[in-house]
Amino acid sequence: MTSSKNLNVSLIFGFVFIIAFFNADFSISTLDPLGEIKNFFMGIAQIELSKVPIYFDAIINTIRIAMVAILVSAILGFILAMYFHHRFMRVCLAFVRSIHELFWALLFLQIFGLNTMTALLAIILPYSATLGKVYAEILEEYDLFPKELCASRISRISSFLYIKLPDALPHLLSYTLYRFECALKSTAILGFIGLSTLGYYLQGSFMQGYYGEVWLLLIIFYIIIATIKFWFNKYLAPFLLFLSLFTLDDFSGFNMNNFIRFITEDIVPSPIRKNENMIEVYIWFKNIFVDEIIPGIFNTIVLTQVSLVVTGVLALFLFPLISNHFVNKHSKWFGNILLVIFRSTPEYILAYLFLQIWGPSMFPAVIALALHNGSIIGFIMGQQADELKLRPDSTPRRIERYSFEVLPRIYGSFLAFLFYRWEVIMRESAILGILGIATLGFYIDSAIADIRLDKVVILLFFTALLNILVDTISRKVRAYLRINNTVKSSCDLV
Amino acid sequence: MITLDKETISYKDKIVLDKISLSIKQGEKVALLGKSGSGKSTLLKRLYELNPQISSYIPQELGLVNSLSVFHNIYIAKLDEYSTFYNIRNLIKPVQKEIDIIHPILEELYIPELIFKKIGELSGGQKQRTAIGRAILQGNPILLADEPISALDEVVTKKVLSSITSKFVTIVCALHNVDVALEYYDRVIGIKDGQIVLDKLCAQITTADTQHLYHVCDDKF
Repeated sequence: MTSSKNLNVSLIFGFVFIIAFFNADFSISTLDPLGEIKNFFMGIAQIELSKVPIYFDAIINTIRIAMVAILVSAILGFILAMYFHHRFMRVCLAFVRSIHELFWALLFLQIFGLNTMTALLAIILPYSATLGKVYAEILEEYDLFPKELCASRISRISSFLYIKLPDALPHLLSYTLYRFECALKSTAILGFIGLSTLGYYLQGSFMQGYYGEVWLLLIIFYIIIATIKFWFNKYLAPFLLFLSLFTLDDFSGFNMNNFIRFITEDIVPSPIRKNENMIEVYIWFKNIFVDEIIPGIFNTIVLTQVSLVVTGVLALFLFPLISNHFVNKHSKWFGNILLVIFRSTPEYILAYLFLQIWGPSMFPAVIALALHNGSIIGFIMGQQADELKLRPDSTPRRIERYSFEVLPRIYGSFLAFLFYRWEVIMRESAILGILGIATLGFYIDSAIADIRLDKVVILLFFTALLNILVDTISRKVRAYLRINNTVKSSCDLV
Repeated sequence: MITLDKETISYKDKIVLDKISLSIKQGEKVALLGKSGSGKSTLLKRLYELNPQISSYIPQELGLVNSLSVFHNIYIAKLDEYSTFYNIRNLIKPVQKEIDIIHPILEELYIPELIFKKIGELSGGQKQRTAIGRAILQGNPILLADEPISALDEVVTKKVLSSITSKFVTIVCALHNVDVALEYYDRVIGIKDGQIVLDKLCAQITTADTQHLYHVCDDKF
């Protein structure tokens, strides 16, 4: 039964993929894409280690912002998790979460200017909403203590600390650590819109075609991510957090008048601001809706659906590379390195690189999204495949083993992982519009460039709505497939 | 006195307790006998709900917090007697006064050396004794326990059972071992398919009754 359901779902998404594929723009507009790829790889030879000190401030700033942001987000998330059972709270958090940190940054840029406050808030808002949700789910999952034994006279704090928290604590901490890694990536990306983090230099070097610098920056970035557990452990973390809190600077440029103007004027629809009648408001909205929201949503969905299927197919090809059932130890090591690189490189950076090579169209965006997400899913699938114990007499032929023994057993969880990732892919599809693909992000970026913040807010609203819709469908599909993934395995996909 | 009058409990369409009438006098030590799924656990839970203020309850899954020590798990019984501040202080660093209270309980249960071990590191029998320790610390006159000694060996079983008997006035304890029930309790109640099939004082049990009880407790039938 279940396998025919798996097939139904796969076929439906395959069919949507075909329709989306023929509506997508896959043109290659650069004159010499091959030459550009060659230049990029030749860049490895041009790495100059002497340039590292130039980036020192940006490295420190990226780490400081990520640390303070995750600290505040964890505290807020913990408080929010306590109220997650309220429907209103769940809706609010879903809304805040569904707007990408770059969009938040673009919005806060208008209020606070290019400074640390903008960077912090852009991370803290969506992260505390995500942490709030996941914390609530984790606490729920470990809530095994018999209700009858909880005397009603025990204070809520005492019962929480003694009965609920202890068993959930290790999982809460490991999830927070995973989110810290995400925060480092997000903070680095914020540099692309001008904040003084690693992404700022990365974008500069990209634009000028200094690929040696690009490589150097990427390698610094990988080293930071790969060494987290050595410097963000229980001994150093409190000290580093303390240091970050007191050394973060550059909060200049905040102006209360800006903030008041933002709330009371900038985001009010312009016809209302000018005291025009309701018909004008209607026309104002209709124009945005027809000219920007509909094509923006259409393109975002097209890019998402194409990327989702390509991601899935890629993951199916990638996971054998790190599974003992298909490769030997040495090949597995190479497979792991490959997947770790694509997993650790944010899709935004991949997309930026591919856009330089192929020009702005959906083609580089799909490749970037699929490589990043396909590696994440492929990695988890590979781990799952290795947990399978095949009969000793199962076929040694790899293709048969893949298609008859391994894949049928993990296909269900593969679909679950893919659907967990669906919402993330959609959020990224929207944001890649900033790079010139006509998804929702493109219209949002243009509206910001025109300083039409009323329009920005409307567009963001619909972006969030679209995300929540996809999240709801994803949950329905998972329920239909009856995939009971526990929070434990799904956490690292959110 | 605990009484049930034609009590019927069902989950979905399945009847778990079928018109059970029962009365247990103060001071009685009652063993509930029956195989798994007979309705013992539901009956015990119901008895607890009738008198939660004066009963200590040990559910079959014990209700222990795996990441906390034996000491803290037993202390949970007294959370409502102290201020939140005192509870937090005792969580961070166990207060000597509380250790002095809990240590003798553990000595009676033959696990004093485990006082600061985490539950996750213990064996099944050690966990059961921790849950019993929590019930003892609660200090209620009635004990309602659901197979609390199933993982203990014979020697320890005897010592723990006599310790329990001395700490509680009234006891209702689910068991599946007929011999233990007849040796340590005043009265046995046999349950099958949600109905009471036998209810007698141990002194009046005949050989035929014993055979009947073996049959009631045997999972093969």
